Amino acid sequence: MPRKKFEEEDVQANLLPVMNIMFLLIPALLLAMEFASMASINVSPPKFSSTPSEPKPEEEKKEKPLNLKVFVMEDGYRVSADGQQEGAEAGKATDSKAPTIPLAKPGAPLNDYDRYDYAALEASVKKYKSLFPHETIVTLSAESKIPMQAMINTMDALAGRTCKIGKALKGEGVPDDCYFWQPVVEGGAG
Amino acid sequence: MSPDQEAFLAKKKEKAAARRQKPEEKGELGMTSLMDIVSIIVVYLLKSYASDPVVINPTAGQKIPLSTADAPMQDGIPIFMTMRGITFDNKKVVSMTPEGDIDPTTVTNHLIGPLYDALAEEVDKAKQMAENTGKPWAARAILVGDQDLKFSALVDVMYTAGRAEFADYSFCVIRKS
Repeated sequence: MPRKKFEEEDVQANLLPVMNIMFLLIPALLLAMEFASMASINVSPPKFSSTPSEPKPEEEKKEKPLNLKVFVMEDGYRVSADGQQEGAEAGKATDSKAPTIPLAKPGAPLNDYDRYDYAALEASVKKYKSLFPHETIVTLSAESKIPMQAMINTMDALAGRTCKIGKALKGEGVPDDCYFWQPVVEGGAG
Repeated sequence: MSPDQEAFLAKKKEKAAARRQKPEEKGELGMTSLMDIVSIIVVYLLKSYASDPVVINPTAGQKIPLSTADAPMQDGIPIFMTMRGITFDNKKVVSMTPEGDIDPTTVTNHLIGPLYDALAEEVDKAKQMAENTGKPWAARAILVGDQDLKFSALVDVMYTAGRAEFADYSFCVIRKS
């Protein structure tokens, strides 16, 4: 008796419902993704040597530099320009008893990044910028325990919190609301 | 039953029989629309990855500082600094103390020994590559810090990078929306 021949049939899966779900999943996943937009703050290296270099003859002819310095302390900011601390007594270069700009939230812990008076600092540097419109460099230093976020917020205030320097770096003009956007980070100064 | 109804039923049966005899059609899936969407997604993802020269993947538990700065990221070598340690080239090179300071046994006059060794090795490689490709070496270090990182630790890392011939530094920040 001859055996029956069974022809194997190709069974194809119905992909339609799977594809329906995939179509819904793709936009859902794309929407759920969180994109953090990264940016950078370019800084100059710290200076550890306090030995002043001899001024070159060409530099002497130029306008006297502002030498704006901001020191971040645990109890506020100490701002000085051209070696003279802001608010120091007459005839004194520094007055270390009190910060130039006290804390906005006295007594707040160090990890409370809003404890500093960024608005007052920005107003202060805006005043310097109006006197020295071509200056863009500020020397920044801090006490050892100051957290990085406070330093970044300080740099933002020094540059101007509405400053959009990205286009200027591509060759466009520097906006008027950008003050001191080239920080030099100095260690151990004060 | 009227003759019209009978005729209608007979016709219905014929149709049903014809349907039963008809071979089953194979349904084919239209892939064109799917390919359109996939192509758009691929182009979009490639564009978003290509726009950043450096892809920063923060280490676990790292909180990158927020900033209003909008300067784009430039090409460079990233150094990750967290409250647990300093990571370079996917390797933890230095540990932090529970107080958030760099392990004092690894620091000599602001120079972090293990980090310096790792950076110096990377600098040699980067210089060699720059020589081979004929492009100048950027000598830029991208410092990917943590919100709570102490300034003293930051300065030590910058000093160490400076000793390893890095001339430019960038702080990596997350743009505030």
